Formats: sequence, structure tokens, C-alpha cells
Amino acid sequence: MLQIDHISKSFPAGRGQHTMVLDDIVLNVDEGQSVGLVGESGSGKSTIIRCALGLTRPDSGRVSYSGIDVHRSSRFDTLRFRRDVQLVFQDPYASLNPRMTVEELVSEGLLVHKLETTAAGRRARVVEMLAMVGLGEEALTRYPRSFSGGQRQRIAIARAVVIRPKLLICDEPVSALDVSVQAQVINLLQDMQKQLGLGILFVAHDLAVVRHLCTTVAVLERGRIVEHGTREQVFDTPQHAYTQALLKAVPIPDPAVGRARRAERQLAP
Amino acid sequence: MTLVLPTAAPRRKANFTAYELTVFGVVVALFLLALIGPMIAPADIYTSNMLETLLPPSAEHWLGTDDQGRDIFWRLVAGSRLSLFATVLVVILYSIIGMIVATLATVGPRWVDELLMRITDIGLSLPGLVVSLGIATVLGPSLQSGIIALALTGWPMTARILRTTMRQTMEQPFVEGARILGVSRTRLMLKHVLPNSLDVLIVKWAGDISFTMLILAGLSFIGVGAQPPSPEWGAMISGARGYMSIAWWAVAAPGAAIVINAVAFALLADILQVRRDPSLQA
Amino acid sequence: MGVDTILTDGIVPAQVRRRPESLLQVDQLSIDIATRDANVRLVDNVSFGIGRGERVALVGESGSGKSVTAQALMRLNSRVKLSGRVQFDGTDLLSLSPRQMTAMRGQRMGMVFQDPMSSLDPLMTIGDQVAETLRIRGVSKREARQRALDVLDELKVERAAERLDSFPHEFSGGMRQRVVLAMALVGEPHLLIADEPTTALDVRVQERVLDLLDEISRRRSLAVLLITHDLGIVAGFADRVMVMYSGRIVEENEATLLFAEPQHPYTRGLLEAVPRADITVDRLRSISGAPPAPAARPSGCTFHPRCDHAMAVCTSVEPGETITPLGARVRCHLYGEG
Repeated sequence: MLQIDHISKSFPAGRGQHTMVLDDIVLNVDEGQSVGLVGESGSGKSTIIRCALGLTRPDSGRVSYSGIDVHRSSRFDTLRFRRDVQLVFQDPYASLNPRMTVEELVSEGLLVHKLETTAAGRRARVVEMLAMVGLGEEALTRYPRSFSGGQRQRIAIARAVVIRPKLLICDEPVSALDVSVQAQVINLLQDMQKQLGLGILFVAHDLAVVRHLCTTVAVLERGRIVEHGTREQVFDTPQHAYTQALLKAVPIPDPAVGRARRAERQLAP
Repeated sequence: MTLVLPTAAPRRKANFTAYELTVFGVVVALFLLALIGPMIAPADIYTSNMLETLLPPSAEHWLGTDDQGRDIFWRLVAGSRLSLFATVLVVILYSIIGMIVATLATVGPRWVDELLMRITDIGLSLPGLVVSLGIATVLGPSLQSGIIALALTGWPMTARILRTTMRQTMEQPFVEGARILGVSRTRLMLKHVLPNSLDVLIVKWAGDISFTMLILAGLSFIGVGAQPPSPEWGAMISGARGYMSIAWWAVAAPGAAIVINAVAFALLADILQVRRDPSLQA
Repeated sequence: MGVDTILTDGIVPAQVRRRPESLLQVDQLSIDIATRDANVRLVDNVSFGIGRGERVALVGESGSGKSVTAQALMRLNSRVKLSGRVQFDGTDLLSLSPRQMTAMRGQRMGMVFQDPMSSLDPLMTIGDQVAETLRIRGVSKREARQRALDVLDELKVERAAERLDSFPHEFSGGMRQRVVLAMALVGEPHLLIADEPTTALDVRVQERVLDLLDEISRRRSLAVLLITHDLGIVAGFADRVMVMYSGRIVEENEATLLFAEPQHPYTRGLLEAVPRADITVDRLRSISGAPPAPAARPSGCTFHPRCDHAMAVCTSVEPGETITPLGARVRCHLYGEG
């Protein structure tokens, strides 16, 4: 469905120098598939997202969606692409227009893509969508500021999913949330994927969340994908040294594991 | 994790100080006066009464009379609608021009932005009063001319400030999100960018009213704005300056009216500024 | 040293557990803040102790009061009102004058924050900043510089001698955090309070910083109060864990026991809600709702609206403290007399 085909991107770094941000990235997301992209800060995660969404043009290679070149498409194709591929942002405080009510926010996609032509039809769809993300009808007339972070992220998901996209790109969707709220949003994304057959590209630094949500995983190190495989391959038998190092560093909420690892590191030269 | 203090609770209740309430009260009163002034003023303020010319302030004529024997207090009251509403109209007109310019510069291709901002720079570098004087003279001296002249020269600052803010708003994730959703450029501007950029103008508006009122009165005083016998305040000063040496009150009273209005709106601007940015609080 | 730890850290009954000599004792600490409208209690009657050389974690979400508690121990936030008792090494911290408190902060208690950049002066060299605490105490320039160098070496800052004269912006995030640690440690404090010290860092850097902290704490017998929202980093580091929810400590136990046998429904919920990188589960158990804001706490047990085990009593009566057979100090009606 989404094909990221050998894209590279570099940015000017002053004095005529260029920094390679993405180096020959190949990544596909098929219909209904959940793909995780793991990387530390500065690994090029956000540039991949921007390229995949057609917001940043790669220097070479191409990004295509169902055969359409995302960066060289007609107006008609672009509109279809905008309907089929949606994004959930990291920060639920900045990703919702503070001056729009929940109803306006969630129905905007329906309006823009003319999926429901009457106000009543749109409202019905919005209410149905809100119920799906666990919010009641009373939310319709309220503004984002009166919701908690977790609720806002549900609204953001509702806004993205209401137009029934085929692919949802998630940019660290739970890292800004309280620990006890993260699971709610992770479960919601899981449900959405199952119920709607949604493809998910889940971009995060948190390996644990990626393991939980994604069946295919790619590991990004400084603009290169160093490991790419099924969840079991990447997590249980990692091949690349970088993946191994990352996995060893992920905190595990089990004192025995934590102490054993520290002992191992301290005994090693 | 960051400490979330309860003061940052979702909706802050507005607790106004006595000083703030006083300023709000005065501003509201000035608006009300402008609204009902011409209705409550006696009819004889527009006609001459040669028996009562240039009387000093007294119980009967609180601020005295002018050379036509008209009561100055009531003329001020009647004229407040002209002065204040003309001022507000000027600010509204040039704000609209500024918004259009800023929006075009924000959405348009780079060369449109460059072109509009160069024009704005030229507008900012020209002495506004002198240009308005020219425009008003060409259009023929009248209050309308003054309004048009000031509207045509006042917009550059609004355009510049708004464009900067709109550019910042464009960078917000929710604007990016709207683009990803497939929102058209017009809707993006009108629904997402503009409403979230106008905050910055609210403070400016109050200050602008204060400033524009002075300039508008200035134009009338020089003789290219409202003309005597109009009770517009600038025109009243202009008409009275000939006999200022024998009837100071005829100049001082409208002058004071302008100052009171200008100061009230300047204070309002100051309060709004502090409210918007609590770090300025003493 | 590591192996040794594993062997002795088995499950030991609470009564026979050897407690280190007390260093910090907090009794009935409450923290209030006056807002425009009302007085809001941020932290409510919190009591705990830290022994010499002991590593204690204070775990909580936003609004739980964990950071305010840390600041209160250092008396850093002048906008809040403190009540209760805080005994540090025999001194009552809440009765000290601001000047005495400043001396205390420099010499006997150190603190590091999440964002290292906010603790560093961009216009001062690393060496000067690390040495500053000592200079204030009247240590000679040469000696202060030498000791700064020693601490940076101890924290494994490579080529520390050359880098004494560089500025914060020349350092990476992890290195900056080490510099901030050096600033806190150069005065050889007995207690280090670390408020989310690794939250802004990548996992591998986080691990390095925690390893360093672990090593130094053992070598110097330095007590550490680690404040965090991340149970994962706590597990490998702390001897004892306190879980804070909505201004109260709801559970406290030895780390091993707390993770193996969490007692409070909130602790249990938290542990089940966090995905793990080492096992695949079908579905996470989530806690419904969100943590309350301090100004809008539910009555009774503040966790009851989110609790699976909530009973009638939970809505109205605030649970007292109970010690369970496993040695956990718990505030929950499921345990104890009621």
C-alpha cells in the first residue's frame, strides 16, 4: 500500500556541508499491517514521516501510495491520498486547534472530503466515532482545553480515523501521556486496527510499545535501517549490534532482570 | 516530569482588580456616551445664539459656550459619536486591509510575500500623518476623507505583525494536521491560522484607537478632516483657536475630551497586554 | 560487586530486614499552594525515610506531587507552604534560615533535574560551574578546579581536563547530564535527589547515566532519591520504591517485593499497563480515567474512581496506612483494619 522506495535526504549543515538524514530507506506498509519504526532522537524518524506524508520531498527515491507517486501526483490523487493516509501526533496539546469544538474537529475531514453532505449526517458519524474512542455525546460542544491529555489523544485519533483512512501513521502517540493513560491509547489503536483493518506505521523510540503493537519492525540508526524483520526476529533474535544494544538498554520492570544486566555490564571490561 | 500547578487549570477565572475594573468602566461609559450622546443633546447646539457667545463655564453652561453661543459641553457629548466612531471605523478598515495583506503574504508563493512585505515596509517608512494629509487634501476636506486617508495609511503595522504571527501559527502541529487531513488553503487560513493569530491584534486595537483618535483630531484641526460647524472634537478645537486668547475653554474642553479618550484606551491596551503576558505583571 | 548484590537481595521478611542508619526522615509532610481562588494541597501527609547509602525511588505520574516533594526537601519552591517535619542528619530542615539552607544544599544535599540545560549557565565554562559550589565555600581556586576535575573523571567524562574550559553547548545531552551530576556531587553530599534525571535521554544514554549513579552511590555510600514516572528504570536501580498517587504515598516496599507482589490496585495497574520489550502480551490491562488534578481530588481514597476493587467505603473514607504481611506500607481499604 505505502511504499517507501530507496529514499535519501540530506540537509545543509552550513559551510557547504550536508548532513545525511536519511540514507536509502526502504519500508513498506501493506493493508491492515502494523509496522513499527524504532529510532532514537536524531535518527531521522520525523523526516521519514514527513516524506511519507508528502510534506518533505526526498532528494532521491520515491514514496508511492497504491501506485501513486506521493510527491508528483495530480490534485485529484493528492486528495485521495489525504483521505487515505492520516497522522496522529505526539503532542495532543498542540495537535488540536484550540478554537474548534470537538464536533468541528472530528467532522472536519467529513466536510473537506464531502463524505457526509448534511450537518445531521456528519453529527451522527461524529457521535459514532466518539463512542468508538470512548467519549460521550456531551463532548461535542466542548473545546480541547477542557480535556486531559489522554482524552485529547482520543479526539485526535477520532479526527483522523473518522474518514476511514487505510493507513494511520502514529508519531510517538503515547510518549507525552501519563503512564496510566498510555495503555488506554495503545489498546484503542489496537482495536481500531482490528476492527477497521487499518494499516499502521508506528514510529517511536519506545521499543516496548512497538513490540506490543507491531508485527513487523524496522530499526533506524542515524538515517539507515539497520534491521528489519518480524517482531519475533527483531526482538528475540536481533542480528545487528545496534538493535542488540538498544534491547539491552530498555528498562524492564523486573528488579532481577535489571540487576542481572547491571552486573553483567559491570563485570564486563 | 513537569510540575502541573493548579493555577494552570483549564479555564482561568478572570479576577479583575479595582484599577482594571475602573478602566473597563470608563471605556464602556465612553462608548455608551458616543452611542446615546447625539440623542440626549439639546437641539440648539447646532444653531447660533448670538446672545450667549463665549460665555465662561458656569452652572448653566458647564463648559461655557463658543463664538456661536452654543453650549460646549453638549457639543462635546454630541460630537463624541463622530470622534469615537470615526476612530473605530478607521481601525476596523485598516485592520481588514492588514488582515488581507497578511493572509495573502502567508498563503501566497514566495514572491507575493516578498512583494507585499516590501510594500508594507515602504508604508511603514513613510510618515503616516503627512501622507494622510496629502490623501485627505486630494479627496477634499471632510471627515470621510480623513477616515479614508487614515485607513489607507494605517494598515502596514497590522499587516506586518499579523504576518509574523500567522507564519508562527503555520508551524503549529494542528495546522500541519489540517493539511494532512486535506483541508483547502482557504479553509486552512480562515479556520485554523487566522483565528489563532488574531490574539496579538486585540492588544494593538486598544492602543490604535487611542493613537488614531489623536491623529484624526489632528487632521480636523489642520483643516483636512471634519469641518466646522461639525462637533467633531478636532474640528471644534480648530474652530475655536481663533479666539483662544479670550475663551480658553473653547479649546481646552475638546482637547481634554480627546485626552481622556486617548488615555482610557491606552490604559486598556496596557491592561490587555499584561493579561496576555502575565510575566509583565508588577 | 554486581553478583554480590544479586545473591544477597533475596526476599527477606520485613522484621529481620537490616535497615541502614537513618539519614533523612520525613514526617507528615504536607505541601500547600495558595492560588487566586483557594488553597490547594499538593502533597498530603507524606512520611518516609531514607537510610545512609540507600537508593529510594519515588514513582508517580504528573500531578502526583513527586516533584514538589523533592523541591520541598531542598526548600526550592518558595511559593508553597510546607508543614510537617523533615529531619536530615539530625537537622530540622524546615526550621533552617534561607542562608543555612543554602549551605545545606551545597554541601550535604545535591539535586539534579530533568533538563540539564536549565541547570547550566550557557556563558560559564564547565569547570567553573562544577567548581562553583566549592568556591562559594571558600575552597581555593586551584583546589576547586582539581576537585571538579576529579568528579568529572569519576563520572567518566572523557578528556575531562581538556573539557573543563568548554561551554555547555559543546556537550551532548548525556554529557550535560553528567556535568549537572558533577555539580551536585562535587560538594560530596550524603543525599542526592534526582528528579527525572534521564527522561530526556535516549535509552542507551539513560542506561549509562544510571550505571554511573549506581556505581557512585555504592562507592561513596551516597543515598539517592530517584524521582521518576518510569517503573522500568526503578527496577534495576532502587532498593526501595514508593508509589505516589495524587499527593499521597499509596504504597512503599522493597523493590524486589513491590515488583513481585504489588499490593495497591494502583501499583498493580501501573505494572500491568506498561508494555514490556521482553515479552509479548495480547492486550494491556489499562487503568480507566486519568490522574486527578490536585485541585479536584475525589473524596475518600483518591484512586477510587479508577479502581477495579472500589468498595462503598472507598468513596468516603480516606484509607489509613497498613503494613501488609509482605512488609508493604499500603494505603488501601483492601488491607488493614477496615
